[in-house]
Amino acid sequence: MAVEKYLKPEVVNQIKRLDLRAQFVVKGFLHGLHSSPFHGFSVEFSEHRKYVAGDDPKDIDWQVYAKTDKYYVKKFEAETNISGYLVMDLSRSMGYTYRQELSKFDYAICLAASLAYLMISQQDPVGLITFNEKIRASLPPRSKRTQLGNLLTLLSKLKPEGQTDFLQSVNQIAAMLKTRSLVMIFSDLLCDDEATMNALYRLRHGGHDVILFHILDEAEVDFPFRGACRLTDPETGDEVKIDADGFRNEYIEEVKKFRKKLALECSNSGIDYVPIDTSMQFDKALIEYLHSRRARF
Amino acid sequence: MVWANAAVLGLGGALLTLPIILHFLMQPKPKILEFPALRFIQKRQFVNRSRARLKHIVLLLLRCLLILLMAAAMAGPSVASRDYGQWVIFAAICVSLLVVALALATVLLASEKRNGLLVGVLSALLIGHVGYAAWAGIQLMNAESTQLLGDSAAPVTALILVDTSCRMGYQRENKTNLDRAKEIGRWLIEQFPADSEACVLSTRDDPPIFSVDLGAARNRIDNLEVEFDSVSIPKRMADGLKLLDEALHERREIYVVSDLSAKSWESNDSSLLNELAAKPEYSAFVIDVGQQSTTNTAILPLEINRDSLVPGGELEIRTGVARSGSAVQRSVRFRLERPDSSRPVLRDQKLLVPDKFHERLKTYEMKEGASESLTFKFSQPLEFGTHHGTVEIVGDDSFEHDNKRFFTIEVRKPRQVLILHGRDVTPDNLSEAMLDEGESSLFVPTIAQQSNMPSNLEKFDAVFLLDPDAGISNTTWTALKKYVETGRGLGIFLGAGAATGSSPHPSFQSDAAQILLTGQLKRQWRRPDSDLFLSPSNLVHPVFAPFRETETAVPWNQFPVFMHWSIESDDRWDTLPTQTVLRFGNGKPAIMERQIGDGRILVMTTPITESAQMQGREPWNALFTGLHWPAWLLVRQMSEYLVQSHANRVNLKIGDIARLKNDIRNYPVDYRMFTPRTTQTPAKVGSVDGAVKYRFTSSPGHYRLKGNLNEPVLRGFSVNIPDGQTDLTRIDPADMDAVFGADRYQLATDKNQIQRQQGTTRRGQEFYPVLVLMVLVVLAVEYLMSNRFYS
Repeated sequence: MAVEKYLKPEVVNQIKRLDLRAQFVVKGFLHGLHSSPFHGFSVEFSEHRKYVAGDDPKDIDWQVYAKTDKYYVKKFEAETNISGYLVMDLSRSMGYTYRQELSKFDYAICLAASLAYLMISQQDPVGLITFNEKIRASLPPRSKRTQLGNLLTLLSKLKPEGQTDFLQSVNQIAAMLKTRSLVMIFSDLLCDDEATMNALYRLRHGGHDVILFHILDEAEVDFPFRGACRLTDPETGDEVKIDADGFRNEYIEEVKKFRKKLALECSNSGIDYVPIDTSMQFDKALIEYLHSRRARF
Repeated sequence: MVWANAAVLGLGGALLTLPIILHFLMQPKPKILEFPALRFIQKRQFVNRSRARLKHIVLLLLRCLLILLMAAAMAGPSVASRDYGQWVIFAAICVSLLVVALALATVLLASEKRNGLLVGVLSALLIGHVGYAAWAGIQLMNAESTQLLGDSAAPVTALILVDTSCRMGYQRENKTNLDRAKEIGRWLIEQFPADSEACVLSTRDDPPIFSVDLGAARNRIDNLEVEFDSVSIPKRMADGLKLLDEALHERREIYVVSDLSAKSWESNDSSLLNELAAKPEYSAFVIDVGQQSTTNTAILPLEINRDSLVPGGELEIRTGVARSGSAVQRSVRFRLERPDSSRPVLRDQKLLVPDKFHERLKTYEMKEGASESLTFKFSQPLEFGTHHGTVEIVGDDSFEHDNKRFFTIEVRKPRQVLILHGRDVTPDNLSEAMLDEGESSLFVPTIAQQSNMPSNLEKFDAVFLLDPDAGISNTTWTALKKYVETGRGLGIFLGAGAATGSSPHPSFQSDAAQILLTGQLKRQWRRPDSDLFLSPSNLVHPVFAPFRETETAVPWNQFPVFMHWSIESDDRWDTLPTQTVLRFGNGKPAIMERQIGDGRILVMTTPITESAQMQGREPWNALFTGLHWPAWLLVRQMSEYLVQSHANRVNLKIGDIARLKNDIRNYPVDYRMFTPRTTQTPAKVGSVDGAVKYRFTSSPGHYRLKGNLNEPVLRGFSVNIPDGQTDLTRIDPADMDAVFGADRYQLATDKNQIQRQQGTTRRGQEFYPVLVLMVLVVLAVEYLMSNRFYS
């Protein structure tokens, strides 16, 4: 799949003026709109202030002490960028499309590409992790311009397959991430509810800012089937024979319930939950989300 | 239950498999789709599958029910009884209610999203059903069972009572009402299920029996004829009901075919009403073959001045003509046959009767509902013998049986009577009463003193003893007794002559005298205060015939009786029939009658020979003072009675027994009887005990007796239809209800109505309309539900 497919010029134009705020503000200098809580590479002096108990003694400016006989500590603002991870569900269910146009996985790539572009344009490093039963492929975060091409090239080579083990995969990811990062998960979450939430809690507990893009196919939201149907789960191979006409309302109800529960759990644990389905134009969905996020911070 | 087109049920059964096959075998194959979000479906799969199955089963049931109902409706089901039918309808409503309730429950329970319209429609249907079922249930609980349950094809025990009174002879469109009744009867028999039994009854008074089979019943109906001595329908029904009690089959039906003329339904007895009320399982149908309005001209019953004439006597017949319907001109003809000794005779199976007549013709302009009285007088000399005649309407009429009235007169020699009187007694009162008609008088009296009694009494038809005196001997009494025993009459009018002092003379105390005097002469009763009168209590005796019309207007109290004899009965003569004909106001007998042999004696205890002034004594009574017409008429009637001028009743009514005196010295012993039934072979009729008797007077007309005693002897009598039998007035519906009970019978006027009412009663109830209604309900429910389920 061509890289350009996932980055349409109009989408880029739409999102380049937007920034992606991390959920919490860190100490240090603001570079772009991000601040980092960590000392790191290419720090810059900010100001002096009086030493108070508890400050790290190594931060004391001995030259000022020599001149004033008072303890002052140097304040620095790091110029570090926030690392972003695009965590893509690569299970077989993500390859599903009712209209045979854009699968959930394709939709997720589009979203991911847009976000990666945004982050790279902000000099933020962005990496990629894909998983199904376990982590399948990953790309370390970089903020170079070429990173976007690498990401998309890798993604275009991947094909959704296998089952999802969200808990194990996310646990692995959490273990991989050394620094607090912005974790953007793209998944249909068609796995065990409790395991999903536990995995997200674990990630959140690691101090990461998590944005959960819950991507469903439009058929999985609207249930447009008629008459007798035999539905097969592509991952497990389970089959169910139903009267679709009599089931539609119940199904929609069930999906709504699921989404509502996720939204509530995420809200309680500080995770951004973004329910999306493939009938929505992904750019609009993304812009809408970013606007709402900026409004919150 | 009966199915008009049972074959359709088979077709329905075959069609019933269609939705079942479609449901189980021809279900559409499911589309196989990949769907990752299966976990959401799996959660509710069980509930969904159950609901889907329920919906499909309900729809399948509805479709099956729809086919069943349509097939059942086309098969035309019906049940035997209306009551049973009501129960079936009630059950059908309940089933329909269940179907609607089930549909509503399915919609409420099996649909995650309720359709307001569907729920509303079903709720309305359910409420309607519940209401109707409740109403029908209450009606059924309150209704009394009136009909048998069972299969309408089951055999019937039927009683077909056809009115065969002469009124059924009324004609319309060249058919009599009896023809119509027979047509209906034949048709009814054709309608009966096989093996049914039937009893065909007419209004003739004969014992009811079941016909051997339906063919015999049909023949019986074919042979029905108008009867002139018919009895009332309620009486015949009572006879028929007794027979129905012995019926073979449970289903019992009564059909009465009548013109509904009031006379046919006369009944003073409520036993029929009670009997029918006690047998609610009997179905009763009344079939009216009569007309609401009739057009008729009738000759009213004849009044003849006397049955027997003497030569030169005048015949006077009074009658009338009555008209119902539009005004019309009608001629009435009086005919008197001229004697023809060669007739009647049966020639070539035809009865030939005298065909020459004395005729009179009168024409009337009859207005609607009017009646005219008319009198025919005939005074031409007639030969001795029997003369037959008619008074009839000239021309045709819708009802022929009242167009002609028959009469017979006998022309005889005058009666020879002997009047014996005591000394100083004037017999003028009696002789004048006998001779009032002059030369044509019925009597030829011979008057003699008691002491000069002729020795040859046989030539006299009657002897009258007026105030006999003590000179009468025991020999005389004995001679008179023998005379009476030969069938003659004796009249004894006691008075002062029988007394010696204040006691009866011994010559009146002998056994021979007591036999003739109807008892022992005891004493004289004196009532000088003019307060004792003749006091008739009932006028049944023939001597009172002229007084019957003016019973209360007879001034008996203007004619006091001052003295009379009292007679005490003697046990020794109890075997002789004796009766008191007339009493005085004090209860003592005034006229006694005794029969001895064929003869009769009248004894009057006060004389008829008294005048206002009697020599040497007070008069015994004032009967013949002033305008003494009551006493005069009484004496005249007593005279006629004693000469037995009424012995031959020659003008009879249907059903009367004819009795003609037949003295074999003057008449033949055997006769041949030519009845009005012209096809009937003349029967031989013999003289028994001095009389010819004939009881089969069932047809109106002339009955002619032909015998031979050196030369042909022709006698006979006439029979007419009794008064009122030709009255075509229809019965009032309320009177009909009184006979049957208001809701106990069904009235029909033609075959269609009979069929319909028979169907309602015998078949009970047809369910086509109910089934069609149910089809519509089920169709609507099925449409709404399938629309809802597959939307």
